[in-house]
Amino acid sequence: MPSIKFTYFDGRGLGEVNRVMLAAGGIKYEDVRLHESKWAGMKPTTPMGELPLLEVDGKTICQSNSIARYIAREAGLAGKSSLDQAEVDMIMEGVRSLFDKAAQIFILPEAEKAARKKKLEEKEAPELLEYLNKLASNKGYFVGDQLTAADIALYVNYESVGSLTIALPSLDKYPNLKKVADNVKANPGIAKWLKERPVTTY
Amino acid sequence: MAPKYKLTYFDARGRGEPTRLIFAAAGVEFEDNRLTFEEWPAIKPTTPMGGLPLLEVDGVTLCQSLAIARFAARDVGLAGKSNLEQAQADMFVDEISELLPKMAGLFFEKDEAVKAEKQKEVEELIVKTYTILEKLSGSAGYLVGNRLLWCDLIFFNIASNVENLKPGTVQNYPKLAKSYENVKLNSRIAAYLAKRKETPF
Repeated sequence: MPSIKFTYFDGRGLGEVNRVMLAAGGIKYEDVRLHESKWAGMKPTTPMGELPLLEVDGKTICQSNSIARYIAREAGLAGKSSLDQAEVDMIMEGVRSLFDKAAQIFILPEAEKAARKKKLEEKEAPELLEYLNKLASNKGYFVGDQLTAADIALYVNYESVGSLTIALPSLDKYPNLKKVADNVKANPGIAKWLKERPVTTY
Repeated sequence: MAPKYKLTYFDARGRGEPTRLIFAAAGVEFEDNRLTFEEWPAIKPTTPMGGLPLLEVDGVTLCQSLAIARFAARDVGLAGKSNLEQAQADMFVDEISELLPKMAGLFFEKDEAVKAEKQKEVEELIVKTYTILEKLSGSAGYLVGNRLLWCDLIFFNIASNVENLKPGTVQNYPKLAKSYENVKLNSRIAAYLAKRKETPF
């Protein structure tokens, strides 16, 4: 296993799906948390001016989704066949769109924020969660019958959207998604990480 | 024998075109199912996540345009060899794809004043994105490694729209221009483009 260095800010945000997958896969890595004051100096040295970054085998990978797919493949969480991988991918894209919407709203000026927040909370999120609930099995897995990156993405993004002060409907309304969350939390590597990880606001 | 793949999208390029280009580059047949806007509302609730495009293959229905394109690329051998090379190609696709919603927003904007603002924003984002891609691009005439991969096709797709907006843009970025030309001159892509139906977006 090559040595891995994962760099992000000291928060969950766009980094946490990767950290949780590394934990699930039992993959040792250097968890570099950059203080915001150091970012301006580091930014020009990065491939695309953004975090997170994954350094592995002398290469630096950027773009959180690309990093996530790479780690998922390394950790055996990507899905078995190519078609399974595509299903995992599509769930991750769908779930990620929820986080992206929440993040966009979070930085809006107050005047615009309320209306957009209401639309997300009352229409867009419930609609998407309803679709996702249908896509998850009643055993609590999106693809096949074991944990994949799709399940992890649902759990982590649901939690992160909540941290961005968006009031999502409770997962109790979506029984299959609730089981997905339970399966994620029950994974031994993930359970250990959730207990030990630094506590951050977002 | 029915084609292995059925792609469903609107009668437009939009989010369907990346996958069409991938199949075209590989010379792989697929059913190119184009819906009218009138047909869409009835079909929407039957889809995995309420959106298009869809790819039906082996009894499975995939959604999310990039998940579909990535799968198609893997199936036809255009994703990249190793896990790491695939991640590098992915990286380019993710970055390039950030231009899409901004360009779509500009295209569909009706208010002239807002449109002028958006045009300015889009042009700045294009410069920012192309500068990043140029720095990272390989020098063999392709974005990653030494052969055509799906990231070159994705770049070509968006760059074509940029050229419609501001002709000559890609020529300012030598490595990107090489990738763009290599796609355009690829015999299968050239044949596909020659036959492709003109659509507004």
